[in-house]
Amino acid sequence: LCLVPQQVGKGELRKIPVPANRYTPLKENWMKIFTPIVEHLQLQIRFNLKTRNVEIKTCKETKDLSALTKAADFVKAFILGFQVEDALALIRLDDLFLESFEVTDVKPLKGDHLSRAIGRIAGKGGKTKFTIENVTRTRIVLADAKIHILGSFQNIKMAQTAICNLILGSPPSKVYGNIRAVASRAAERF
Amino acid sequence: AIQAIQGIQTCLRVAGAAAARPECFLSVQDGLAADFRAMTKTLYDLNKGNNIVRGGPLKELVIENFDEEQIWQQLELQNNAVLDFFKKSIARDAEDEDLCLLSDQEDDGSDAETSSGKELEDNIMEAETEQMNVYTKDKDKTKAKEKQSKLRESLMQKYSDEDSDIDFDIEALEQQAKTAKETTLRKKERKSVVDDKFFKLAEMEAFLEHAEKEDKEEEDDDDINYFEDIISDDEEDSEEDQVKPIKSSRDMTYKDFFDPVDDDDGDDDLAANDAEEDQEEEADSAIEEQNEESMSEFEDMDEMMEHMKSKEASKKVTFSLPDDSETEDVTEVQLEKGINPSEIKSSFEQRQEKMSKKIKSLEEALLEEKPWQLKGEVTGQKRPENSLLEETVFFDHAVRMAPVITEETTFQLEDIIKQRILDEAWDDVVPKEKPKEEAFEYKKRISLDHEKSKLSLAEIYEQEYMKLHQQKTEEEENPEHKEIQEMMDSLFQKLDALCNFHFTPKPPVPEIKIVSNLPAISMEEVAPVAVSDAALLAPEEIKEKNKAGDVKTDAEKTATDKKRELRRKKLRKRMRRREKEKRQKLLEKMKPEQGTKLSKKAAAAKLKRLTKEGKASLLKDEGKDKALKSSQAFFSQLQDQVRMQIKDASKLKKKQKKEKAISVHKLKL
Repeated sequence: LCLVPQQVGKGELRKIPVPANRYTPLKENWMKIFTPIVEHLQLQIRFNLKTRNVEIKTCKETKDLSALTKAADFVKAFILGFQVEDALALIRLDDLFLESFEVTDVKPLKGDHLSRAIGRIAGKGGKTKFTIENVTRTRIVLADAKIHILGSFQNIKMAQTAICNLILGSPPSKVYGNIRAVASRAAERF
Repeated sequence: AIQAIQGIQTCLRVAGAAAARPECFLSVQDGLAADFRAMTKTLYDLNKGNNIVRGGPLKELVIENFDEEQIWQQLELQNNAVLDFFKKSIARDAEDEDLCLLSDQEDDGSDAETSSGKELEDNIMEAETEQMNVYTKDKDKTKAKEKQSKLRESLMQKYSDEDSDIDFDIEALEQQAKTAKETTLRKKERKSVVDDKFFKLAEMEAFLEHAEKEDKEEEDDDDINYFEDIISDDEEDSEEDQVKPIKSSRDMTYKDFFDPVDDDDGDDDLAANDAEEDQEEEADSAIEEQNEESMSEFEDMDEMMEHMKSKEASKKVTFSLPDDSETEDVTEVQLEKGINPSEIKSSFEQRQEKMSKKIKSLEEALLEEKPWQLKGEVTGQKRPENSLLEETVFFDHAVRMAPVITEETTFQLEDIIKQRILDEAWDDVVPKEKPKEEAFEYKKRISLDHEKSKLSLAEIYEQEYMKLHQQKTEEEENPEHKEIQEMMDSLFQKLDALCNFHFTPKPPVPEIKIVSNLPAISMEEVAPVAVSDAALLAPEEIKEKNKAGDVKTDAEKTATDKKRELRRKKLRKRMRRREKEKRQKLLEKMKPEQGTKLSKKAAAAKLKRLTKEGKASLLKDEGKDKALKSSQAFFSQLQDQVRMQIKDASKLKKKQKKEKAISVHKLKL
């Protein structure tokens, strides 16, 4: 996704394409999405049905230039698969980031091994994924071979490490131990 | 009579000669002793010849080959008899009112004066004549008595001194006699109940009377008689003031100051009566008699000694000197043994002797080798066997002594026990569980929530933010409170440790050591972390290793793995089955009805029964029992089934046709 700012008139415009599988959730959560953008960020948003893009535009009322980036990130996060409330944190907090990488980036895996790796990441009923999310205070989206992590920089790193370990084959219990240690240290520091 | 005179003369002569040279008595004089013995015998025989005085059984004194003791015994026999006689006569004479006890001062003084002036031989001569008179007069008895008494008194006087030199001086004897007279005079009074050794009621009354008289006299007499002796109030004197014979201070004895302690009444009466008699007679006679007494003293000295000695000892006043009892014994022993008087030592000398002996013994002890008790460390070999048992040893007890169990203590204990039982306050020990807090467990406590978090990310961060800002305000608690709390906690912990029997100390708080499981380099890198396997915690620490090793899928398992798994599975099943059977058996035993319901055997048996009875019928699955493994088998079975159905149907049709044909044929005919 390349978000090339297009200058439409005096304001800037951002376009976020929406894949077909996210179309319905977008429709369902449209209210929740556009309300904070329009009210808090004072931006203009629309969904272009023909191009299947969500377009966000600045207007006169926009006070903050960074608001557009935030809004674009917010919508993008939702499109990737995050919950609206989780993605909303992007608007509220400045220092949240979104990290994406693929499983094959970490280790070239094919076929069953890939599936197993994904299975390891997810865990039984998503247990492992949730554990990592809770310990590291991030949100993870596991979309087949792609992994998206939302959180602060440190936490992203922790979660990333954990996921990478899982991909590489360490059992979940070991990963738990590691992330717990790191997380506790990080928590104590603050 | 002439014989008697001669005998006496010789005796006197010999005695005088001996007395003239008293220094010879410092050594033993065998010759003189023999002479004296002879004299004793002659006097005894003379006395015996005179039948006025009834004496002892022996007619004559036997001295040949006789020991001193034996001679004395004979004399004693005589004296005992004589004494009784004397007592009776004195008692008679005392009642005689013609006799007067009072004596003049001048007489005494003259006595004193004349005694010093007279020579020995004159006295002897006069004594001789008097002796004659003695035996002829009626009052010879009393004289004889006097003899004895004076001798006694003199002896008393002598042996009351503990000087080594005994006075054979006649003058001394006379003085003694005078004092004896005076003392005896005072004892004429009667006895009363209150009297004891030192106090006499009669004496006190006499003194009071005298005092009253003095008062009266003072009223009459204005002149003071300067030549009178001033009598001290202590002395109880009757009207006859007597001048005490002037003694030199060196010769003063207890007797001069105090009355002899009398416990023998007879003697006193005797003495008193004797004194009376003496006063009547002229002084010279008294002296002469005394002189004679002195002669006979030599003979009778020994005989009287035994008598006197016992009385001496009782009448003596003893001072509480440490060695006095010993000295007394010594003197008595000496007397008994008849040791030469020159060897008798004074009390001071004896004490000195003893002191020196003690000192000597102490010195010897100091110079000797010390006993083992006083030597420092003594091992068992250095001291005699079992010697410690006889010693009382002091040592410090390092531990508290065990309590002495008495009845009281047991009662107390029982009371406590009863009360505890009533209160049900038992001292049961609570089983302690060791808290298994390993590092692993501790880590797990940082909760791992395996579920999807209910809070959205935004809310989480919000909470975090709030916490951060609130902590700052809350941390500023009162530091003093904190300090106090800490101090109290530590104090209470210590107290608990001291007083609690079942105190279990707190388990050591596991130190939280932050082990970063990443190599140091990775922490500091800015760039994304390079994944590495290097971990500080061993994997077994985090999770226990599976015995089988790595988790394998079915495709990855080797033959041995599969077989192993199979074996395990079978084992588990076997165990479960056995447990089930056990439970079944138990159930059957306990509740037989329930047991039969559930068992398979029971069910099969039931089924059989039912089928036999005809209530139930078993459905038979012929074709369906077989397992269809391949499609060919399935289709062939299907074909067979269809064929069978067709056959059955066709058979049925044929049967029906056959039945119809028969009927038609029947009808046609």
